[in-house]
Amino acid sequence: MLAKEIERAGLPTVFVTSLPTIATMIGANRIVRGPAITHPFGVDETERRGIVERALEMLETPVEPLTVWEVEAG
Amino acid sequence: MAWELATFPAGLMGKVPPLEHVDVEVVRPGEPVRITHVLDAVEPRVRPDGRAAFPVEGTAGEGRTNRLEGVVVLSCLDFPAEERPLHEQESLVDMAGPGAALSPIAEDTAVVLRFRPRAGLGNEELEASARRTTLVVAEELARPTLDAEPVEVERFELGPVERELPAVAALIQLSDLGPLYYQYLYGVPVGAAGLPRAIDPAELLDGAVTCGEYHWAALRNPTVVFQRSALVHALYREHGQRLRFAGVVLMRGYEQSAAAKRRAAEAAAQAALALGVDGAIVTTDAGGNSHTDVMLTCRACEEAGVRTTVIVAEMADPEATGPGLTDWVPEADSIVSAGNAEELVPAWTPQRVLGGDTLLDGTPAATAGPIPVRNYFGATNQTGQLALTATTW
Amino acid sequence: MRAVHYLNQFFAGLGGEEAAETPPTRLEGAVGPGRGLDGTLEGIEIVATLACGDDYFAEHEEEALGRLLELAGAERPGLVVAGPAFGSGRYGYACARFSRLVSERLGIPALAAMHGENPGVAVAEGKVPIVPTAVNVVGMRDALPRMAQLAAALASGRELGPPAEEGYLPRGFRRNRLAEQPGAERAIDLLLAKLDGDARSEVDGGFDRVPPPLPVPDLSRARLALVTEAGCVPQGNPDRLPAIRAQGWLRYSLAGERSLAAGRYESVHGGFDVTLANEDPNRLVPLDTVRALEEAGRVGRIHDVFYTTTGNGTPVAASTRFGSEIAAELREAGVEAVLLSGT
Repeated sequence: MLAKEIERAGLPTVFVTSLPTIATMIGANRIVRGPAITHPFGVDETERRGIVERALEMLETPVEPLTVWEVEAG
Repeated sequence: MAWELATFPAGLMGKVPPLEHVDVEVVRPGEPVRITHVLDAVEPRVRPDGRAAFPVEGTAGEGRTNRLEGVVVLSCLDFPAEERPLHEQESLVDMAGPGAALSPIAEDTAVVLRFRPRAGLGNEELEASARRTTLVVAEELARPTLDAEPVEVERFELGPVERELPAVAALIQLSDLGPLYYQYLYGVPVGAAGLPRAIDPAELLDGAVTCGEYHWAALRNPTVVFQRSALVHALYREHGQRLRFAGVVLMRGYEQSAAAKRRAAEAAAQAALALGVDGAIVTTDAGGNSHTDVMLTCRACEEAGVRTTVIVAEMADPEATGPGLTDWVPEADSIVSAGNAEELVPAWTPQRVLGGDTLLDGTPAATAGPIPVRNYFGATNQTGQLALTATTW
Repeated sequence: MRAVHYLNQFFAGLGGEEAAETPPTRLEGAVGPGRGLDGTLEGIEIVATLACGDDYFAEHEEEALGRLLELAGAERPGLVVAGPAFGSGRYGYACARFSRLVSERLGIPALAAMHGENPGVAVAEGKVPIVPTAVNVVGMRDALPRMAQLAAALASGRELGPPAEEGYLPRGFRRNRLAEQPGAERAIDLLLAKLDGDARSEVDGGFDRVPPPLPVPDLSRARLALVTEAGCVPQGNPDRLPAIRAQGWLRYSLAGERSLAAGRYESVHGGFDVTLANEDPNRLVPLDTVRALEEAGRVGRIHDVFYTTTGNGTPVAASTRFGSEIAAELREAGVEAVLLSGT
């Protein structure tokens, strides 16, 4: 599972996926829930901006292991 | 230095000397008896040269010692209720039923000494008296062997090895958690015995180490496990065959701080290195943070270039999936499982109960229902004495 | 005995990826592979098949499970069978969640079937037995009789024996047994094997958990790399990244690119409907957005290559290797943070 291996090398990694349960099972630590399997970064750019900004925020935040963030509305 | 162990049949067993405040019963294997509050088990031993079988001075493991086969002395004591020891856990031996197969002494005749508390004596005095009396009785019972012929004499000697064989040592963990939780080396609590320390393996077999700790019934090493150590016997057998038996290092578990644990682990690794080993088998005593000491020792050895195999019991919730090791390090990639101590043994109703009619948790011993393996004396022995193990379903 | 069979939209004959949004649906009797299964079940009849689209389940899990439990309960079955899902992660996930809940909430014995590395196995957490299958539908004929065998065992009401005997994946429960030799001898064998280069263990240690790396103090001064498991590649897949079970990973230059334009990039992931992704590949790898953020100074620098693989049916050992190889390159290049997209 890529996220864990890249983290093992010490790089903060945020994993955007619509299946966060599986991501926690496999051991990713920074996870943002994406809206759908077919488009984890949303359909349009506005939605995408919200998801990406949430992901970037997570990269700048200390977290406990296996943390999942939702993208807040707005 | 050679040591001979002469084996004599159980029939030679002498009489138990008259003892005050102690009930004595002899129980044969297979009798429907449950024995509770078991403290220790000791194999009867005596030395023809008159030296002590459980010496507190000098060096064991030289000359000859006589053993009685098929007999153990069991000590039982129900500590006075008002001041129960802090870590105390129930400790059972079932001589029949589903729990019998778990016992390291299932095939032995048990001479059960039930010590009765006395007014005016605190737990430590009671325990000391019980422990010493048990060792004295064990020596007494073997005394008739001095006038008899052995059925077998084993010679323990580590001669030079000509072939290029891997050098292997046993790193044996002993415990010291304070009074009532001591193991002893020549009568000294191991925390004060200058561990880690290399000894001749025959010393371990010949009564140098005795047990005075009473928690973790299934996971602690009673005296008889050292006397009959399957690990040390196996290493002697393999010496010159598949390996060179480089020796035994005794090390202390339950170091009381993270820093002390690390230092002790590194010292144990250095002691192993000093023996010139390629690999070491690391054993465990009791449970809880002693498992951390073992894992840190494993790591320190691996970092020093000594490959390790660890023997440890599991504490896995039988209804849950996932690892059940109390502690672990990634270097511990070669582990012998001594079995899962949390598994329940099916309920069994004995015909007789010795040691005490009520278990420590208040349930009647005779009708207690399923009891976890962890309360069965010696069941998940972490020096490899038994065949119990766990697999994944 | 009455049984209910769970299938995804594809195996239930409702359509392929385009039907992946199908809500829970009841079909009469056995359908598709259920017919083959039904044929080998003695004394057990599949009275209804429940089908649900993989995407619908993933995106509306609560409602889907609620509805499926309702539909299942209404059939009053003595047994529920889910799958075989083979290597399909979404399908396996749904099989695991549904069969587990049927067992836990309705008390109905249930089993699932899927490939041993399907994420659904972990999700089941051992609560239902899972029959191991091949990674794809080629294994159907082999899987069905083994599912029938386990189904019969469950239906009989007896306690299941060890995994190897009964044909299900070890669930992770530790059970005691007597070995042939005492631990001391096994320890010597294990140590000598390890000294010979073969380290084996009777018990696995902890979970392989990696602690979260420290956060990036300030992304506006950091180099951020884009990595994807969604199989995004230049149009035409010039380097032939396989759709399933990728044998490797690829990297492509982002120099001068402000966006992953449709027609210039596509997804070759074999496990989901790539229509939306191909209409706008930024939906998988958000280059347009991160470029805008780079220009605005929110991110210091976007790394000039992106990495791609497909996370579909990739064995754990392989994806572990890919990850460490990619990580090594990223570190070498001074990357300080990674935005990873999956499905």
